[in-house]
Amino acid sequence: MKIVGIVGSNADFSYNRLLLNFIAKQFKTLVDVEVLDIKDIPMFNQSDDQTNSAPIQHFNKKITEADGVIIATPEYNHSVPSALQSVIEWLSFKIHPLDGKPVMIVGASYDVQGSSRSQLHLRQILDAPGVNAVVMPGNEFLLGEVHKAFDEDENLKDPQTTQFLESCIKKFIRFINVVNVLNSPEGMKDVSSTEDLYATGSIDTTIEGIDMSADDWVEQAAKATKAVEGNTYVKLNRGILTVNQLNHFLNSMPAELTYADSNNQFLYYNHKLEAEDMLATRRPGQVGNPLAECHPERAFSSVAWVIQQLRNGKQDVVRTHVPTHGPDKYVVHSYQAIRDEDGNYLGINEYVQDIKPMIDWYLEQTGQQLTGGNVDAVSGATTKVDTVSSATVKG
Amino acid sequence: MKNFIGIVGTNSDSSTNRLLLQFIQKHFTDKADIEICEIKNIPAFNKPTDKKAPIEVQKLADKITQADGVIISTPEYNHSIPATLKSTLEWLSYTSQPLIDKAVMITGASYGRLGSSRSQAHLRQILDAPELKARIMPSSEFLIGFSLQAFDEDGNLTDQKKIEELEERFNDFIQFVEITNQLVNINHSQKEKSQNFSWEGN
Repeated sequence: MKIVGIVGSNADFSYNRLLLNFIAKQFKTLVDVEVLDIKDIPMFNQSDDQTNSAPIQHFNKKITEADGVIIATPEYNHSVPSALQSVIEWLSFKIHPLDGKPVMIVGASYDVQGSSRSQLHLRQILDAPGVNAVVMPGNEFLLGEVHKAFDEDENLKDPQTTQFLESCIKKFIRFINVVNVLNSPEGMKDVSSTEDLYATGSIDTTIEGIDMSADDWVEQAAKATKAVEGNTYVKLNRGILTVNQLNHFLNSMPAELTYADSNNQFLYYNHKLEAEDMLATRRPGQVGNPLAECHPERAFSSVAWVIQQLRNGKQDVVRTHVPTHGPDKYVVHSYQAIRDEDGNYLGINEYVQDIKPMIDWYLEQTGQQLTGGNVDAVSGATTKVDTVSSATVKG
Repeated sequence: MKNFIGIVGTNSDSSTNRLLLQFIQKHFTDKADIEICEIKNIPAFNKPTDKKAPIEVQKLADKITQADGVIISTPEYNHSIPATLKSTLEWLSYTSQPLIDKAVMITGASYGRLGSSRSQAHLRQILDAPELKARIMPSSEFLIGFSLQAFDEDGNLTDQKKIEELEERFNDFIQFVEITNQLVNINHSQKEKSQNFSWEGN
């Protein structure tokens, strides 16, 4: 689980920085924490928009990609430091990376209060509609008299404090999972049972008698069906190609294509790259698997929801942006319903593309610009579904 | 005749809080001399170890010290006051602490219906911190909602009821300044205690 830790002070020395470094070090088997400093972020000014400056975009990217955020705040004048406030103002002005993001608040101060009042202000600030973070309730971690709290190796001296901190971090991990359910299209409702994701049934085209999970399912199924290959001609609507031509043709498509049939069995992908070079990883041995074996269990509800949208004709395509490839790419997973002439649902064509080059080309050709500056304008047109981002390769 | 300063709580080029202070300045010329102070040139607070105030902060601090009272007009950003106003207050509390025992009136304007209600509540709590220890006028909320529509071309408030409310608040404030200064003169020792309050020693 990737966590971003934000140091709430821009001072050269900050105990809150020590605290976050300690969390990163102490709990590295639980979470992967990257500590970010805010001192390069300029003072917010709505008349001087610096949203696109490197330090702010760096924060935007790191937060967007993270599963959760931990903010460590000192207390200045019964509130959070202006430096932290300014960062949150930038992150709620033209961009909103904290929207829906699970956030945990911790804080350290010199006095006995341990930042109690600034933590309450921070909760209210993060709850503002422009920020809209999802802050973990309870589990308040206040570190008072912080100048006495650390030993010379920058570890917390008191084992009970460390133990309590660990319990808060563990709660936060569970909280992140709960928020993911909350952000899924059907909310708390688990709709996974609406689809037979284990493909226990069969349809006319299901190849019977072969273990769907076998790594050589393709080879076994080809033998059983006497499937044609190589330079054998296949008649299509409208044309004739050899199987080889058909393969080359599909591999030349500017997208990663995947076919899952209406029985929720993964039948095909245009295999041209190794799994690690793909935008959405697929391995040859996965072909033939039921969809349940291509996704972690926590994603089942979302996967079922997408299939239901397509199967029931509510939508012909469900799209989602998966922001895992950095700011240079804008990777979109499109789940396109495959239907026959009569509109019967046959399965899903999932195509995965980086659409940024197309948009750049369009803008260059037409001389137009996107309002708001970045490709972010496109995200409004997509439905947010967290299915593929959590699809993992098994075995 | 009182001497007040009005602090515009934002660094934005266009601000209805600036308009509001300008209106107050104009509307009460017979009662007070009000100088409007901007904070946009005040650098971001970064808790320097030498505790030295930048020149812009020192100038503002001197004006506060000389004034009979201070009016702060704040917008609302994310349910709170803007970072830039907070930074200004951090500088003041970290250096010469001119707001200690100073009478302060809070006003605010926002584009939406709520009129900066939540940022005013935060500002009260902040000004009440021991390092600032301002004497904030109690029970005197003045909120301007839908502030973009609240002023005419000449910068006057268009709603007569709002003007009357403001007049009441302002008259209260003049009295509050008198009472506060009497109280403060009696309580001189308290002031010394607050000034000894250290950011790190507590």
